[in-house]
Amino acid sequence: MESHVRFWRVVLLAPPLLVFGLFVLWPLADSFRYSVSNWNGFSADAAFVGLDNFRKIFTDPLFANAILNSAIWMAAALVLPVGAGLALALLLDSGVRGAGVFKSIFYLPICLSSVVVGQIWIWIFQPDWGLLNTAISAASGETFGYAWLAKPGTALYAVIVAWSWQQTGLAMVIFLAGLTAIPRDLLEAADVDGVAYHKQIAHIILPMLRPATVVVIALSVINSLKGFDILYIMTGGGPFNSSDTLAMFMYDESFKKYKMGYGSAISVVLFVITLTIIFVYFKELKKMDEIYE
Amino acid sequence: MTRHYIKRALLAAAIALPTGYGAAPSLAADTVTISHYFTGEMGRKGIEEIFAKLTAATGIVVKDSPIGHEDFKTGILVRAAGNSLPDVFSYWAGARTKFIADAGNIASIDAEWAASGLDQIVEPGIIKNASMYDGKHYLVPFGYHYAGVFYNTKVLKDAGITANPKTWEEFLALCATLKSKGITPIALGSKDQWPAQFWFDYLLLRTAGPDYRAKLMAGTASYTDPEVKEAMAKWKELTDAGYFTPQANASTWTDAADKVAQGKAAMTLMGTWITGYWNGIGLKPGSDYDFFPFPTVKAGVPDAVVGPVDGLVMSKTAANKEATWKLMSYLITNTDVQVKWAAVQGALSPNTKVDTKTYSPVMKHALDEVSKADAFAFNYDLATTPPMAEVGLAMFARFMDDPSKVDDYLKDVQAKAKDIFAKAQ
Repeated sequence: MESHVRFWRVVLLAPPLLVFGLFVLWPLADSFRYSVSNWNGFSADAAFVGLDNFRKIFTDPLFANAILNSAIWMAAALVLPVGAGLALALLLDSGVRGAGVFKSIFYLPICLSSVVVGQIWIWIFQPDWGLLNTAISAASGETFGYAWLAKPGTALYAVIVAWSWQQTGLAMVIFLAGLTAIPRDLLEAADVDGVAYHKQIAHIILPMLRPATVVVIALSVINSLKGFDILYIMTGGGPFNSSDTLAMFMYDESFKKYKMGYGSAISVVLFVITLTIIFVYFKELKKMDEIYE
Repeated sequence: MTRHYIKRALLAAAIALPTGYGAAPSLAADTVTISHYFTGEMGRKGIEEIFAKLTAATGIVVKDSPIGHEDFKTGILVRAAGNSLPDVFSYWAGARTKFIADAGNIASIDAEWAASGLDQIVEPGIIKNASMYDGKHYLVPFGYHYAGVFYNTKVLKDAGITANPKTWEEFLALCATLKSKGITPIALGSKDQWPAQFWFDYLLLRTAGPDYRAKLMAGTASYTDPEVKEAMAKWKELTDAGYFTPQANASTWTDAADKVAQGKAAMTLMGTWITGYWNGIGLKPGSDYDFFPFPTVKAGVPDAVVGPVDGLVMSKTAANKEATWKLMSYLITNTDVQVKWAAVQGALSPNTKVDTKTYSPVMKHALDEVSKADAFAFNYDLATTPPMAEVGLAMFARFMDDPSKVDDYLKDVQAKAKDIFAKAQ
């Protein structure tokens, strides 16, 4: 019996492991190999350059710029969708009329592909006839033609707004599910005792939402690390690298500047950073599990 | 015991895997795979009709995978990196073709070229400049373009302008007149960066001349030279005077073309493909729009024209070289195909047998300008190596964002150029 189970375990695990090995582990190992070469991406010749690419990374101002932008991106991805999602969840859970309809509306953007969301926001931010500038012009009575996505000062933040708009729905739904798990009689008892709503939030709701919060934050971090497509569509890291994140920077160096070796070195650094974040996260998660057990 | 189970498990997994895995897709003998950037406003509909015609005439089945113009630049190189190039693909003649020829991704077509007698068909200047690299044929030209100052005839007429400017001073006067009448003189959409390059190209060619420009493109002159500074200073005269549409980096070249078509701006410096786009939205060449050549800036400098040559190259890994060549030679030698392409994409034909009477008056004028010019130069991103082009194009867009820091930009570009050309040697 035992050996039979073991047989099926291996049979069922083999295909996904093969695919994982072929499409994840192999390319990963390859990118480590390229990172110590000066390969341009398609020619037959490439020379071993040791750690030159890595040395160059740490003196490259564009790398520092990409690190800073990635940090801003991740911080914003944590604060904006999580905060807005929580606020919406509390609002919709408070018995407001039409909550079901609003839930669907707020959740809808997450069902759209990032490319579609990016395109919608390109139109909103369009300087001549976009929704935002048209609204500002109408409100102020003066023609307003600021190019949000084409100016180095605002491009990254404009994409963050679009990204948050899409991600808020996901956070909201998870918080709503968490809210249903909070016993109603607890909140009713607090009401009877005359506890103000903001105090209920701080002392009852938020602590009891902790499992949902852990999930939301984890998803936000993971999604923000994956956030490449919407940036690619909306700014492509531009103008002039002002909205480059690490992933975008890696893509640019590899495929636009024909420095696959250097790009691979950036990807190795990105891999180490991601691994560290995930390691810390799992450690924290394990601690949390122990508390709840 | 365990080993036994693992063996059985692996065997089962092997059976479970899709049976076709690992086998190369088997294509019929007369099937040719192609990838190209003739999408959307760059001629998608026309190319499909041309492929249908090719299939009817030769029996070759075209397996087509088009990629948008901007994405093609990286997309095709990704396929080259993965060793999965199509049999044939469109490519820009000049430094880009040389780059992939040097990398060994495309096949020399000397024997096929000679066997098809293309020397008797293709324009000699194009053979020399666009088809041949290091003495070998690589690229079959399919169409070429000329960049000029395209304008809305009604806007210029309404502003009382009767003669086209021939000199820089006359051009500045024209811009001043238009601006005084409340019309933005020049539309530019540099979101994808390359549309700004024609300003640099023409200003440098008209002040420093083609020989100096060739040196700069090859990395033997510096971006901090007085020649480059002078060209940028002329460009800055226009930006400082407010002659460009604001926020150039927020628009694409078609946005700029739309502004001119709608009369919101008067002119745009663009390649002849704009005629294909404008004809497609119902404008009439000659009556709704026309062009004038970029004005002379300095007397005594040879007259050069700027433009790209689109061509087809054969992948070194092409499965069926015979059928692939049949496709390539058909597209250049068949005059009906060439006439059709010239009309739908707004290209000039490299085939000398094409009757120029089939051109619109605007395209005929473009051909005349090319014919009488002292030199034909590839636009910036085809004239210098691709890594350098990336740096230079970004600088042009940055200049359009804030022209005041031009000297800093040039210093920065030169530092990068030094690095890029040092590696290339």
